[in-house]
Amino acid sequence: MNFAMSLDYQSCIDCKACEVACKEENGVQLGADKQRIWVSQVETSIFGQPFISLHPSQCNHCLDAPCVDVCPTGASYFALGGLVMTDKDTCILCKGCMEACPYDARFVDDTHVAVDKCSFCYETRLVHGEMTTACQATCPTKVRLLGDIDDEESDLVQLLKKRKFYVLKEEEKTVPKLFYLLPEHDDYFAMNSVSPDTNIYTWDEYKPIIEAAKAKRKPQWKTVIL
Amino acid sequence: MENRNTLEVNKLTYKEFFLDKVMLISYVFLALFFFGVVEMVYERYFLLSATAADAGLFPGSRAVAEAMKEAVFGNGGEVKREAPWSLYIVNYIYMVYVGSGIIFIVAIGELLENKEIKNMAAAFLSLGLAMVIAGLVTILVDLNVLNLLSMLLSPQFSSGMWLMLPLYTVYVPLVILEIYLVLSHKDAWIKKIAYAIIILSLLVEVIEFYVQAKLFDMNSARHLWTTYPLLPLYFVVSSFTSSLAIMSLYVYLNKGNFMLRYIIERATLYFVLALGIYEAVSYLFIDKKWAEIILFGDFKYWFYLYVFLAVLLPLALLFKHYMNIYFKITAAFSIILGTFLGKIVFVYGGNAYPMSDRFGVGFEKYFEYDEVKNVIFFMPPFSEVAIVIGSVGIVLIIFRAVDLLLLPKKLVEKGV
Repeated sequence: MNFAMSLDYQSCIDCKACEVACKEENGVQLGADKQRIWVSQVETSIFGQPFISLHPSQCNHCLDAPCVDVCPTGASYFALGGLVMTDKDTCILCKGCMEACPYDARFVDDTHVAVDKCSFCYETRLVHGEMTTACQATCPTKVRLLGDIDDEESDLVQLLKKRKFYVLKEEEKTVPKLFYLLPEHDDYFAMNSVSPDTNIYTWDEYKPIIEAAKAKRKPQWKTVIL
Repeated sequence: MENRNTLEVNKLTYKEFFLDKVMLISYVFLALFFFGVVEMVYERYFLLSATAADAGLFPGSRAVAEAMKEAVFGNGGEVKREAPWSLYIVNYIYMVYVGSGIIFIVAIGELLENKEIKNMAAAFLSLGLAMVIAGLVTILVDLNVLNLLSMLLSPQFSSGMWLMLPLYTVYVPLVILEIYLVLSHKDAWIKKIAYAIIILSLLVEVIEFYVQAKLFDMNSARHLWTTYPLLPLYFVVSSFTSSLAIMSLYVYLNKGNFMLRYIIERATLYFVLALGIYEAVSYLFIDKKWAEIILFGDFKYWFYLYVFLAVLLPLALLFKHYMNIYFKITAAFSIILGTFLGKIVFVYGGNAYPMSDRFGVGFEKYFEYDEVKNVIFFMPPFSEVAIVIGSVGIVLIIFRAVDLLLLPKKLVEKGV
């Protein structure tokens, strides 16, 4: 099992239902800066006209996550299924993991005085055998799809075999597992949300990268601390 | 001085000890420190926060209403997600590196049998140790101490942060032992042990600078820290510059002998030069996104003030061997302040370039009416500033207590 997620982000309508569902279901602290997931915007202009790209995002559950290496107590760790998890009871709030994360995906949960982040709804859904997240379930335009990338027959892998995708900040070599699906049928507007420097992948091209990172890190995967 | 194999404690009245001028100054700093700690404890552990469940289950609760108000109109809590490391880390690295630098220089002086350094070794070592302790206390305040036991229960050998635990567990007692031996050794066999301890402490110091550099270098996305060339060397050069400035200030204020003043003054000059060269060269290698912010962007005034205070002004004042003591004291103060600014630029600069350029098409914002941030900087809260300034009190009280109780007075005052 190796959990990952695809995001058909061009379908996002910025309704923020995912943010609300995440907060409600996972008991995330209220507050604008306290987000496990978010929809951000990049403002650009095309021929002088304002243009906004919407970018739903969250923790990338990187296979080679630097946030795990820096943690002095093991509070940030790899769990079975390749999830990057945090244990609030052993977090000493050194904030090293926040500094190590290239995506600013972590924040301090003041209710527990510990670092918090997306867990792909492990505590509320995955542990009960569900294969979906609160953000995925609530999305009216079906942006997200959680799945097992070890299973070639899973809906996620099937989708990735059909659609090209890219990952964020590949140069940081963290091997992230949020796959952003390349916009289809729109070479003029939607492609403005993709940097020309970004590597575009097919599933067959990215799979060896995942396998190499998994082989390196799998010995560190352990049971989730609840 | 008669031969002493044991430690002698100076005889003082309580009044002489507790109402000493330096002790009185330290109380003022310590009061500020404790005020900051109280504020910090309130902000970290008692500021109301709520979840959606709280809002649903206790709709009429006053506490939930307060927490909701804080969530909407508050400043987002003590730690900012875009810039998690702040003034605490600045003070920690400054105090610990500079304190260790003093201890390192003294150990080298002892090893080389330098008579001038040896005569004031105990005083310098105590000063260095006091700074290291002040740095460690600062970082302790920054952490959630309620879970600190997990560092012992679950060791993480690859984490730079964890490595500091065994490092300082060895280092601090080693320096205390070194001070004890410097103050009491006269027998040949004790001298031999002292040398072994000095060599061991030098070894630990080298490891320390490596570990500290690893702490920053592991944050692969913050390119200021990962592209700084030879980071351990930067810490050594900048810290030793400040260490020597503090040592020289101590020698001037205590009217240390001429030769010692001359040695420290020349060494300071060489390290100031080395720091200037290092900074000039390093920005050729640093990631241009960070270099642009620091050299030409929002951080430029901080950076140039740092260079002026830590390098240019001391160079002008120390280059020629002026006899005017005020020049030298000004140079020392300028270096101490300048290198602290340098650490601010280093820590805050590391977070200055936002991580929100995730898609490579520009910085992201999180709300329609939000502002796009192209530089990250947050003013530290008052509690943090109070704790950092107040930590000077920890240095003063530890050093002065050792000074009054244990240091042979005639030796220090006359710099024999």
